[in-house]
Amino acid sequence: MLPLIETRNLSKYFRVPAGMLHAVDNVSFTIEKGKTLGVVGESGCGKSTLGRTMIRLQEATDGHILLNGEDITHVSGKKLKEVRKKVQIVFQDPYSSLNPRQRIENTIREPLKNSGNYSRSELKERASTLMELVGIDTRLRQSYPHELDGGRRQRVGIARALALNPEFIVCDEPVSSLDVSIQAQVLNLLMDLQDQMGVTYMFVTHDLSVVRHISNTICVMYLGEVVEMSPSKELFSSSLHPYTKALLSAIPSLDIDQPMRPLPLKGELTSPINPKPGCRFFPRCPYAERGCSQEPQKLEEISAQHYVACHRVREIN
Amino acid sequence: MMRNENNVFLSVRDLNVVYTSGKKIVHAVNGVSFEMKKGETLGLVGETGAGKTTIAKSILRILPDPPAKVLGGEILLDGTDLMKHSEKEMLKIRGEKIAMIFQDPMTALNPLVTVGDQIIEGLKLHNDYGEAEAAQKAKELLEMVGIHTERFKEYPFEFSGGMKQRVVIAMALACEPELLLADEPTTALDVTIQAQVLDLINKLKVKYGTSMILITHNLGVVAQTCDYVAVIYAGKIIEYGSKKDIFVDYAHPYTHGLFASLPSFSKDAPRLKPIAGSMPDPTRLPQGCAFHPRCPFVIEDCRNGEILLKEISQGHLCRCCNIQQKG
Repeated sequence: MLPLIETRNLSKYFRVPAGMLHAVDNVSFTIEKGKTLGVVGESGCGKSTLGRTMIRLQEATDGHILLNGEDITHVSGKKLKEVRKKVQIVFQDPYSSLNPRQRIENTIREPLKNSGNYSRSELKERASTLMELVGIDTRLRQSYPHELDGGRRQRVGIARALALNPEFIVCDEPVSSLDVSIQAQVLNLLMDLQDQMGVTYMFVTHDLSVVRHISNTICVMYLGEVVEMSPSKELFSSSLHPYTKALLSAIPSLDIDQPMRPLPLKGELTSPINPKPGCRFFPRCPYAERGCSQEPQKLEEISAQHYVACHRVREIN
Repeated sequence: MMRNENNVFLSVRDLNVVYTSGKKIVHAVNGVSFEMKKGETLGLVGETGAGKTTIAKSILRILPDPPAKVLGGEILLDGTDLMKHSEKEMLKIRGEKIAMIFQDPMTALNPLVTVGDQIIEGLKLHNDYGEAEAAQKAKELLEMVGIHTERFKEYPFEFSGGMKQRVVIAMALACEPELLLADEPTTALDVTIQAQVLDLINKLKVKYGTSMILITHNLGVVAQTCDYVAVIYAGKIIEYGSKKDIFVDYAHPYTHGLFASLPSFSKDAPRLKPIAGSMPDPTRLPQGCAFHPRCPFVIEDCRNGEILLKEISQGHLCRCCNIQQKG
């Protein structure tokens, strides 16, 4: 099956006074139509930058992005406008991603208007359909964002993203700022929409329980690089990379009889500016040995569809 | 509450707080009562706007008035009512007897003062330390929270989020307070850093025998740190009990809903079970049980009158007139 979207050695660097910040480094993966790829990692690992680069909100430094087999990395003008209709994003913060001075109906109508394919009456009808689809009462069409709670605001953001029937949506921490009871409502909505419309998601989050629930495949990032990628359940039942193991053991368990184990790793993220050639996790890794700091780690297929970037992976598991 | 009166260290009785906003009155805390013994940790759990932070700030008496107004209630610390203290007496208590860790370490520190000086400030205020002595003590505190003393003279912007929160913890513990109010101390942190900070808080709590009120919406954090849990909804305690009462034998439909909304790590469910609707408008709280518009087990009695917090087993309290119906 042809993947809907694919990245090949995608990199995004930012020039900063101290040198070159490697936000995303050499990331390759494919997402099939109608599936969800979850991207997890801690703040600063490059997961949001990856999402934004994939939908051309930022220009890639190196590598390629393919949508339906077509290279969209450098398309511009009319062609880019076509791409923009097919790829969308839902932002993390429903408070700052909506225009506070625009009524929510207009927010949802804006992409439709910009597409130029709808008449006035069609616009109104389509906006109502979208509001119903995401579960916002249409009597709220004239409300401003400040009149809505966080969950409803996020629904407006989702309706806006869905307006032009996109094929691919980057969901950048869409439920992180919501309370758990509301979070569950929005996650159900996103999954229902996928079932109904066959839309493909890349779901960026730091919340591992959310990502397990919604993803088919999960990709774990550390300082701009993918360190492990595997089918969702397998990652939780048999994680192989030391960083993934640490990440999973750091989640406070709901089981009151299961006390937290001490975390096997020390320290914090090192700087992504001018990173050294070896493994980026090496300074914090409990299994580190001299060789780890020398050679860059390559993503290797350890079992079917399960990729790990650690040259000691077979010794330590 | 109905736990034994002996060696009660902190007792909050019938606390009521409102905020005024124009002509509207926000009913933030509506008759909250609880007790704590020395060395215990109580978790306050609930969603945004439930009134958790307002409760903590009322104890420290740092609510801005206006817009906040404490309408009534007693806060007894070792038997004396903090509400009756003068502002000057409270200054002595804040930091020395009760300290607070705020949610956001990025804004809790003064960006223009070195972290060392920020820790020294509290130390000198509450002790008879000279400059050198205070600096020495501050360095010990930094080391205790795992920060190298070389960084004593650095400014907050030179620290990462996790490090800043450690500095905030060091400041809170500087005068060895008897009660620590931790307001979402790890919410702004990544999970691996959260695990380190929770581990640190747990160790320090044991070392100093500090009592703690931990405010969070993360049930996993509560499971790993608290002895007792109070679930707050719309400014009221709707369920209270030991950790086991709340995590294993929970009774209130809202508590049930909270657990059901969480995606599970072990079980596969195609759909989550969210609580329907959203939090009620705190300016117009529903009659009867504030949760009734969202409750799947609602009966006629829920819509009228005051629903009382009832003891359903030893020390386990629940504010629901229809708990038999819980599925």
